[in-house]
Amino acid sequence: MPAIQSLGIDVGSTTVKIVGLDAAGEMVWHMLEQAEPRVEHQIERFLELAKGETLSLNGIPLVSTGYGRKLVKQANRQVTEITCHARGIFREFPHSGTLVDIGGQDSKVIGISSAGKVVDFMMNDKCAAGTGRFLENTSSRLGVPLERMGEEALSVSEEHPISSTCTVFAESEIISLLANGTSVAVILRGLHRSLVKRIVAMIRTVGIVSPLMFSGGVVKNPAITQLLEEETGEEVVMPQRPQLMGAYGAALIALELAGD
Amino acid sequence: MKTIKKMRYNWEASVLGLMFQLNQKQKAKRRVKSGRNWKSEYLTPPLDIANKSKMLVARHILRGRHANERGKVAWVTSGAPAEFLKALGFYILYPENHAAICGTARVAEEISSEAENAGYSRDLCSYARTDIGSVLSGKTPIKTIPKPDILLVCTNICQTVLHWYRVLAHHFDVPLILIDAPFIYTEASDHSIEFIKRQIEEAIPLAEKIAGKSLDPQKFAEVINLSRDASMLWMQILDRCQHRPAPISAFDQFIQMAPIVEMRGEVETVDFYAEMLHEIDQRIAQGVGAVKNEKKRLLWDNLPIWYRLRYLAEFLGQHGIVIATSTYTNAWGELADLYDPEKPLESAARTYIYPMLNRGAGDKLAKMKRMIEDFHLDGVILHSDRSCKPYSIGQMDQRDRIIKDLEIPALLLEADHNDPRSYSEEQTTNRLESFVEGLGF
Amino acid sequence: MELTSAIPGRLETINTFKDDGGSVAAVFPIHYPRALLRAFDILPVEVWGPPGVDPSQGASQLQPYICSLVHNMLAFLKTGGLKITDYLIVPHTCDSLQGFGSILIDFVSPRQPVIPIYIPRGRRDSDVDFFAAEFAAIYTRLQEITSRSPSDEEIMGCILREEQADMLLAKLHKQRDGLPFSDLQYYRFIRTREYLPAENFSQLAQETLSQAGESQRNSGIPIILSGIVPEPMSLFETITDLGGMVVADDLAGCGRRLYPTGKSEEPFQRMAESIIHAPPDPTRGNSLQERLDHLLNLQNISGAKGVVFYNIKFCEPELFDLPILRKGLREAGVPSIPIEVDVNDPFSQQTITRLEAFLETIE
Repeated sequence: MPAIQSLGIDVGSTTVKIVGLDAAGEMVWHMLEQAEPRVEHQIERFLELAKGETLSLNGIPLVSTGYGRKLVKQANRQVTEITCHARGIFREFPHSGTLVDIGGQDSKVIGISSAGKVVDFMMNDKCAAGTGRFLENTSSRLGVPLERMGEEALSVSEEHPISSTCTVFAESEIISLLANGTSVAVILRGLHRSLVKRIVAMIRTVGIVSPLMFSGGVVKNPAITQLLEEETGEEVVMPQRPQLMGAYGAALIALELAGD
Repeated sequence: MKTIKKMRYNWEASVLGLMFQLNQKQKAKRRVKSGRNWKSEYLTPPLDIANKSKMLVARHILRGRHANERGKVAWVTSGAPAEFLKALGFYILYPENHAAICGTARVAEEISSEAENAGYSRDLCSYARTDIGSVLSGKTPIKTIPKPDILLVCTNICQTVLHWYRVLAHHFDVPLILIDAPFIYTEASDHSIEFIKRQIEEAIPLAEKIAGKSLDPQKFAEVINLSRDASMLWMQILDRCQHRPAPISAFDQFIQMAPIVEMRGEVETVDFYAEMLHEIDQRIAQGVGAVKNEKKRLLWDNLPIWYRLRYLAEFLGQHGIVIATSTYTNAWGELADLYDPEKPLESAARTYIYPMLNRGAGDKLAKMKRMIEDFHLDGVILHSDRSCKPYSIGQMDQRDRIIKDLEIPALLLEADHNDPRSYSEEQTTNRLESFVEGLGF
Repeated sequence: MELTSAIPGRLETINTFKDDGGSVAAVFPIHYPRALLRAFDILPVEVWGPPGVDPSQGASQLQPYICSLVHNMLAFLKTGGLKITDYLIVPHTCDSLQGFGSILIDFVSPRQPVIPIYIPRGRRDSDVDFFAAEFAAIYTRLQEITSRSPSDEEIMGCILREEQADMLLAKLHKQRDGLPFSDLQYYRFIRTREYLPAENFSQLAQETLSQAGESQRNSGIPIILSGIVPEPMSLFETITDLGGMVVADDLAGCGRRLYPTGKSEEPFQRMAESIIHAPPDPTRGNSLQERLDHLLNLQNISGAKGVVFYNIKFCEPELFDLPILRKGLREAGVPSIPIEVDVNDPFSQQTITRLEAFLETIE
């Protein structure tokens, strides 16, 4: 069993992730679960499990990130997901680039310098139309499970534009399209396009520096990747464990703390 | 060399203009074919003059293509006292009009997203976003627009234009002439009128310097005369809609207002509206209405929803409803009386301080009440326009008073004049349907 | 520090002033002639929202796309929050305040006289002259209402008193580093200029400045705060908690109102010059270049590492300038971040994350 030298925990709005690193900064252990309502208990359980993986947690630095980072009382430091994502992705792609992370509750675009520094970043505005929630909301309405939405959208080449700004408007638009007999796949493709366009607006505001890197829970959706490439004309690259970038970056920061 | 240039210009302006017009016609035909709910049996075909206005606008646009080579160009806000620029020979471009063209051509969303990508918030006016997006990306449905040598902004329609033109001034690095028109809460003060007059006075030398010539007082008076004549004709045209059935609807007015906004102060514009008035009088004599089976008449408040004009006209037409007049089209004619070629500066100051948008919400209510009476109207649609705060604030009270005082239905319709993303057809249709029911069918 | 707790609040100040026979005007943002009101024994008390009012009270007369400040002003008035005041002064700051003033005059018809002030948008002589004439018209209006006719000398006396307070305010900005205040305490203190009589403010300011010494503040990551109003005020605690420190501001109610002294000996003219030549403000007559130069200058003097644009949603004057300002700052190597708020919403987790991430970035 390789010894865990640092831990990073990412307490997000939909999932909680933990990552353990060895002395070289390689990921040797990780876990990912849906976020539970009593997140503190979940965090404790995660840390217990981490203890099982190594001999003792004593002296092993822990950095927390994500919306729930403040809930991790055991953490040596709390760092925002912007910094952590940048750190995580830079370890895998050690050059400048633009990172797009689409999560359940919010999306972010981070410009990373050749030294791995955050140059600029943007997050979606209050409205959910630029996040994974946008798709989730319509999943039940269209009767397509979330994990199949992307494939379904890519099964057709035709698409119906969904132009609305907000999820509520989009939903009423979808209802009328269904009533007019438009096929679900065609609507879905339009819906994905609409989401991607919002993301692209954020990308352009920050400014594109190749490559375009993509992380977050939504990477599992193939339609988003494809449309993102279409809209930007850039090839999209993905880290090996796209959902763990935040936790991984946190663990890398923790490892530096150990060295201090 | 000069002759060749002139020939090319004439060829472009007339031949290409004609081709442009034919192309528009074909596009219109295609649109009819592909339109989902187009039921022409409810609406009378457009006026014959409609082709001519397209031609006029097309010619103006084509002139614009070479305007930078041929002379100086001014970008001007729709409510600005542009007569002195006109008299100095500037080619005048109205970015608001260009934005509306983008809206009707359904490319405003794409173009404004260019501005949004550069950091301009979606909460900003959609005209401004369309214009700034066009400036940043070069995208326009009319191929190209000439760059400004000077900018003229007048705050008599909103403060938005000032912020927007400051962005343009920074981008193009050209002088910005400001004509600040103090808002009239109750009545216009003498010092406000004096202020406007002085600003125009002081702007003229700068414009002269850029134009490279002096303002000819006679030419100035002539332009003011033409502006007044065109505005008066426009007002007469609008007033003709007091007839039952209304010979044209507000939707026709929205389209036909392009020359009065864009080409005020030109002979052709005066001729055009004289001809239009003539055709309208023929319609009245024949008892032809814009809506074939006119049953109810409405007032429209605020800017049009440019990208859904046809849909709304059809929807209402189906129910025998005509929008006989609007506060918006009215704004381009109501001040005609104030122009005085004998006193160009004083009269300009008065003309340009009094637009409806520079006056209080109570004044607009009074105006609407008068229009409801004069035009024998059965109800009001107030377009609550997310992009135009000065026009929209006060509508909730205005609606309330119209319903209470006049006992006629009034609908507040949420949309945006140029950004289709802030418009929901489902919601709109729903609200319109229940409003139509309320009109007593 | 103890001083802040000794400062009287708005209500206490109003009551004291009224007990002494004066009257009170509720003044909406941003610029207005303080001295002119004081010459009529009217104390201006500014109303920036306020946050924490039931905004639904404004919702029946204002569309949702009008900013939360204006919504709150109307709600506050309708729920009796301004009952104690005798006048409502509405500067023509933006389209939304224009609409607000218009609704007040035409539809709400409050008990108090509503006095609008048009703010000219240029910095030319014609703007100064117009502004002075606008003040003269307000003088006449107040003369009719109050039956008082303050002389030029009396007005001038009031002007000098305000100028003294403005000068001290500018000093407080300059020497903020040496004041024994946290960011929150500092802004609570300087924002008393929004309601304290100038003479009281000056006295407090002098006492405070006499305590100024070497930098006493906790070190933090230095930033400039730009925007309309720092509400909710918990913003400052958040910035402190996250390791930041406000070293200069470009806030409409604060740094943009460091009015210079007017030159003219004619009172109306002098007040007009003072307001028109204040630091750049998009709601007055400044070009984007002037605003950018001002921000870069602030950065240069204060050593700030970044600029936080703290914007109220739907605020057009701020939003239009944002892209060019941010671009200019970026080109000068100064990072910035826009944060958008509704004054009624508590600080969202996302807002905190944005601020925190920004501070991490510039550290």
